[in-house]
Amino acid sequence: MLGEMSSIAFIILYGVSYGLVLALIAIGLVVTMGLMRVTNLAHGAFAAIGGYLSTGLMVKGGVPFPLAVLAASLVVALFSIAVERAFYVYLYTAPELEQVLLTIGLDFIAIGALTFFYGPNVYPTPLPFYLAANVDLGIQSIQLYRLAVVAVSLLIIAALWYMFDRTTLGAQIRAAVDNRTMAQSTGINVSRLFSLVFALGSGLAALGGALGAPMLPLEPLYPFKYLILVLIVVALSGFGNVKSVVGVALLVGIVETAGRLLFPSLSGFMIYLLLIVLMIWRRDGLFVTRRAQ
Amino acid sequence: MTRALREAAWTLVLSGMLTSGSIAQETIKVGIIGEFTGSFATSGESYRQGIDAYFAKNGDVVAGKKLELIYRDAAGKPGDAARLAEELVVNEGVKVIGGLTLSSEVAAVAPVMTDAKTPFTSFSAAAPGLAAKSPYFVRAGQDVRASGQAAARSALKNGKRHAYTAVSDYVAGQQAEEAFTAEFKAGGGEIVGQDRIPLSTVDYAPYAERIANANPDVVQIFVPTGAPAVSMLQAIGARGLMKKIMVIGTGAEAEDNDLHLFNDSIDGYYSVMYMTAQLDTPLNKWFREYLVGKFGAEALPNPHSVGAYDGMTIIARMIESQAGKQFDADAAVASVLGYSFEGLRGPMKINDDRELTQNYYLRQVQKVDGRLENVLLETFPNIKP
Repeated sequence: MLGEMSSIAFIILYGVSYGLVLALIAIGLVVTMGLMRVTNLAHGAFAAIGGYLSTGLMVKGGVPFPLAVLAASLVVALFSIAVERAFYVYLYTAPELEQVLLTIGLDFIAIGALTFFYGPNVYPTPLPFYLAANVDLGIQSIQLYRLAVVAVSLLIIAALWYMFDRTTLGAQIRAAVDNRTMAQSTGINVSRLFSLVFALGSGLAALGGALGAPMLPLEPLYPFKYLILVLIVVALSGFGNVKSVVGVALLVGIVETAGRLLFPSLSGFMIYLLLIVLMIWRRDGLFVTRRAQ
Repeated sequence: MTRALREAAWTLVLSGMLTSGSIAQETIKVGIIGEFTGSFATSGESYRQGIDAYFAKNGDVVAGKKLELIYRDAAGKPGDAARLAEELVVNEGVKVIGGLTLSSEVAAVAPVMTDAKTPFTSFSAAAPGLAAKSPYFVRAGQDVRASGQAAARSALKNGKRHAYTAVSDYVAGQQAEEAFTAEFKAGGGEIVGQDRIPLSTVDYAPYAERIANANPDVVQIFVPTGAPAVSMLQAIGARGLMKKIMVIGTGAEAEDNDLHLFNDSIDGYYSVMYMTAQLDTPLNKWFREYLVGKFGAEALPNPHSVGAYDGMTIIARMIESQAGKQFDADAAVASVLGYSFEGLRGPMKINDDRELTQNYYLRQVQKVDGRLENVLLETFPNIKP
């Protein structure tokens, strides 16, 4: 009985922390894909750059972990505005195939650059001593780092929810997601909004990459390695639906963790099983209220 | 004026090239197929380092001929390796091919080499039964089953009776697991749990949790070097298992050149390998100092650089055996059968089945002078898979 309780506690604690990191990375992609209708496969590259930058700041500059994560996210957000102005502006009206080709190309550039600067190996992220310790929660012990990830992610998600649901900016973004032409004709500067949202999305990806680096190790192939997981979250969330991203990412995290713990040799398939079932059952996204045709 | 000067310079350069060409000694070509780009690129880098050290130590003249190495990048693709092998033999006229990191590449190249009658050796491929794929194959790495057996013996000798195996789900991992399991059971041990972990896994914490729940006193690990090894061992360390039970690796998860990738939770990790960076022989010591001096503090000997060096020794022996004759592939291979020599990894012998008899080393990661290091605990001499 205690063993089962502890297994359930493990699945929830580890599944939630893993799922929330995925959520941070995926939210950005859901927003950019939903708002700009750009199939942005280079999203993982921003997460990777965020992770490398923050780890570099920690290792080479001696910057503390929380500060390094924050600084890396801001730098990537600013950098992404330049990338958006240089490349993505041409993609808004381009067909999907061209979007996929260009953004995959950006992935390759990122992989090449990361290999060049940091080498082909794993780039290890040291965990500060105050996060490396384990705490015993009675039925299950958990690394403090995981709890910190949960807390920080929840905080950021709450802030995002507030921004999307309660502020004018959020209303503008939602309006542009639902009907871009109409939003534009009410006087919203959609082009500026695009840059802003793109920076926000990339910054969030960088945050996920940096915060999650001790869990999802950094390597040059990072942009591709986690792309599938993030795309699964996006596909199941539906276009531009920020609230459902969190739910879906948590579900993915818990299903993956439970699969590994309970059916270890099948764990590679569990996530695809979930994807197939959900795509058949709710094609438009898991928590999307069905619209009348 | 300038034009006349330039023409004069060209004439000088060209005549220089011609004369040096006519007096150069005869060369013999050796092909090296490795991974110089892609996700296995670190192995290719180590090949270059090992070969560089070999030439520094032994010179590049074998049997009066200058060895000319021709590098080709297979980037981890067996199909490319086969195509490159053909190109090397047909266009470049190489006499021997070395390198071939992956067992799948050896398998793909084997029929080409059999047809072309060209000896080849793999510096690191570890699947069993590769020699059966071509009569021209000679092993310079290891048969992974020997690692599994030596790990099981180490565990039994340390009084462990309840084992858990956690290996990556591909051929090498499966073979290591099967060899470990058979040897451990034969010695009176019990297997309390077995996991084959998909290679696509990113968060290894659930596997550490499964191991902890099964309560073993030893766990055998086989995970590819790089991100998977770092994630797996860090998850085990975070779960507090590294100090509590014997965690023993069989797949080069944490060789000395990679230890800087890990945090201190790896302190106490055991592993079994056919070479060890800290091996205290004059040759290995020289090698270690040469690599560190030339390529930096992290370029410590690893299975790839050691395999490349020892592989070059085997290749040189083959070429030497054909000195003064037309190179005969069958005779060259026959010349290394029963060949015993001192490798970087200690004494080695090529058996009649073209597999190796060599030492295996039980090591443990410990802090030495504030640095993590694989400390040699015990040598298992002359193991034949």
